[in-house]
Amino acid sequence: MAIEFRKDLFADERDDDLNEIGKPTQRQDMLGHVTGRSPFYDDHLFDGLCHIRCARSPHHHARIRRVDTSAAERMPGVRRVITARDVPHNLNTLLSLLDFGLDDEELIASERVAYKGEPVAAVIADTERQAREACRAVRVDWEALPHVLDVEEAIKPGAPAVNPAYPGNLFVYHGKYDHQKLRYGDVEAALRTADHVVTGRYQMSPIEQAPIETCGAIAAPETNDRFVCYTSTQALFFSLGTAVKLLDVSSARLHFIGGTVGGGFGGKVDSLHEPMAILGTMLTGRPCKYMFDREEEMQVGAPRGAERWYLTDGVMNDGRIVARKFVGYFDAGATTRLSSYAIIKGVGHLPGPYTIPNVYADVYCVFTNRTPATAMRGFGVTGVDFAIESHMDEVADTIGMDPIELRILNAYRDGDMKAHRRLAKNTALVECCQVAAGKAGWGLSQAARAASSLTGGGGARAELPAFTATDEHGRVAGFSSGSYAQGGRPAEPTGRGDPRPAPGSAPRPEPRHEPPRHEPPRHEPSRTPEPRREPAYAGAPPRPEPPSPAPPAPGEPPRRAPTRFSSISGLRRR
Amino acid sequence: MAVTVETYATLAEAQRAMAGGRARFLGGGTILMRALNEADPSISTIVRATDPALRQIRPEGGEIMIGAGVTMAELARHRDTAFLAPVARVIGGPQVRAAATVAGNLFAAAPYGDMAAALLALGATIETADGRRQPIEELMRPSGSGAGGLVAAVRVADPRGAFHFCKVSRVKPKGVSLISIAALLPRPGGRIERPRIVFNGMGPRPVRAAEAERALEGRSLDAAAIAAAARAAAEGFDPPDDALASAWYRREVAGVHLARLLTGIR
Repeated sequence: MAIEFRKDLFADERDDDLNEIGKPTQRQDMLGHVTGRSPFYDDHLFDGLCHIRCARSPHHHARIRRVDTSAAERMPGVRRVITARDVPHNLNTLLSLLDFGLDDEELIASERVAYKGEPVAAVIADTERQAREACRAVRVDWEALPHVLDVEEAIKPGAPAVNPAYPGNLFVYHGKYDHQKLRYGDVEAALRTADHVVTGRYQMSPIEQAPIETCGAIAAPETNDRFVCYTSTQALFFSLGTAVKLLDVSSARLHFIGGTVGGGFGGKVDSLHEPMAILGTMLTGRPCKYMFDREEEMQVGAPRGAERWYLTDGVMNDGRIVARKFVGYFDAGATTRLSSYAIIKGVGHLPGPYTIPNVYADVYCVFTNRTPATAMRGFGVTGVDFAIESHMDEVADTIGMDPIELRILNAYRDGDMKAHRRLAKNTALVECCQVAAGKAGWGLSQAARAASSLTGGGGARAELPAFTATDEHGRVAGFSSGSYAQGGRPAEPTGRGDPRPAPGSAPRPEPRHEPPRHEPPRHEPSRTPEPRREPAYAGAPPRPEPPSPAPPAPGEPPRRAPTRFSSISGLRRR
Repeated sequence: MAVTVETYATLAEAQRAMAGGRARFLGGGTILMRALNEADPSISTIVRATDPALRQIRPEGGEIMIGAGVTMAELARHRDTAFLAPVARVIGGPQVRAAATVAGNLFAAAPYGDMAAALLALGATIETADGRRQPIEELMRPSGSGAGGLVAAVRVADPRGAFHFCKVSRVKPKGVSLISIAALLPRPGGRIERPRIVFNGMGPRPVRAAEAERALEGRSLDAAAIAAAARAAAEGFDPPDDALASAWYRREVAGVHLARLLTGIR
């Protein structure tokens, strides 16, 4: 079907002189795919390639009393069996490269497993078959522990503790709260004055990215004590940084080669395979391949996480939504991976593409004994958008209003203040609704047809609420706001059983959030500045000055991870 | 450990080679080869037989004799098995149909086994390598001990228009079945006589819906009889929860799809 471009809309906002956007173009890898010549990582052949397979937990949650690899080591073709103590720095969190979150995940479990399929040992053998047979010969003395698989069960008192880094089964945001808060106006007061209060509960199950090419990597020795790694990763430098940290080597010794990704969709950022393949090569001196089989891809490969949302809307008889409250639960599974970040992203999106004067959100990143969740196409927004749009229909039904008219009435418009305290621009929901209704032959009122994203916004709608109700519920102690990742390197590989700061314990001295960094003074670009379209933050507090970098506190250990992307916490100043 | 492949000219020789109990018989390989390619450590010896009789379809004594190694594609295009073509055509894609065999389908675990369901509804007879014959029910019984030997052929009578089949899948074409329904509804004199209704996907093996059969016995195929059969459809079943559907969903839709199948019959 031909694409229809509606260039009549917002024509004056666009210079139509782009060479690619808006024009059909061929994907650069398409020719290779259709001729069968795209080289995938598994196409790289090495003489004497060894195969790595993992012995995995059959339990959702268990203590590892003992791992006996002696029988497996004696099996034919077995070069080596790797366990937790062979991993040089066996503790990481994926986002430590972005300095976000505590290290909370081992490459190979040492004392405890917290999800079904978590690896406890890895066998390196001459053939895949031999590796599988040896995996079956790895004897593990398990002590099954109570497990929890539901987000709301996991945060009840007495629930099994899933992740020692976060004893309350909740990720800690900004070192302060056990959830991500959004406070904008006074939702409770507005709900009291609303004509109708509409509540709803929505949830989304995990979704597996299910790539045709399962995740994997091949490592091999190179000259000069270096290692080459061919990988399916969709985040090459992310995987490189993760391997560097887990293996405690210089990045100069690792040569990563990516390229064709046989289906990523977010499922190939977790960087589990590259460190394992390189470790195997380091320990055996042989080329090693570590690759999920299909069953592992589905059971152990991280999916888009499950979400559960409770929405409460305050609505007037004329259809204006005056308050919207969210309580959300993201199921991170056993470790954080990218779920904590997904929430930051999702909360910035609330309350959806609507202008609502009072918005409130508590969003929890919950640890359960399920497969850790990770990225997938728009993660953090997809689930709550489903909840929001389903709820819009419920609201329309409650007050007897056409659901598209309700959306147009409440749609954000250019110049409106959003709940995350940025002014909306380039909004287009109104026009989307009008075009969709037209295509569907759905009748709209004269007012809805006349509405525009360009008009009706700004003015009073650009102002921050006169009063925003704040609270301290969910406050935790003992966590620091920045530099979550422990400073310095532990003297020895750190196990899961590490004592961690627990809520209620004395807070540690807070390390700085930003590394000392002297930015050159910014110069305005020379092109003509855009005309200001909105009253500049009327009623808003004055913009804070960028914090001047403080010198490092004396005696503070050097940080272990780079901080190139510190804006991820959402605290970036603009 | 290396995998051994042994090839025999006759099924009887293959049967003897399998006596140790460790070997696996290779039919079309659509299931076995997949496991072998994934280095399933439980496979060490593969036995195959090249007897051309295994690939034959021929009328014999008022029945159709279908060799164990006849593929879905052959079944779909052979004149004598036209009544099975609607079943054969919805199993797998073209590559799978070119390889998958009739006897292989008898032993394929859920969610496979649509052809087995059809043959159970048709009241087929199983013939083993040593010439014994047994009703297919013996083979399909969940607690049964199997065929007691390699299957050589399946014998089935042409149902002469009384056989009906539907497959319910989420992906079309080529999706595996959530459930499939095979029904043999002879109607001499307009009334249903000894119906056989089989569900696949409502348990580990294809199984007859005894209550639905009872609801149809002796009745004409009208709205009231169809409604009664639909109500009884899921009775006595313990369907699985799996990646395709929950047990609850299967119980809910079993009667709906049976009613649709029956309503579509002229």
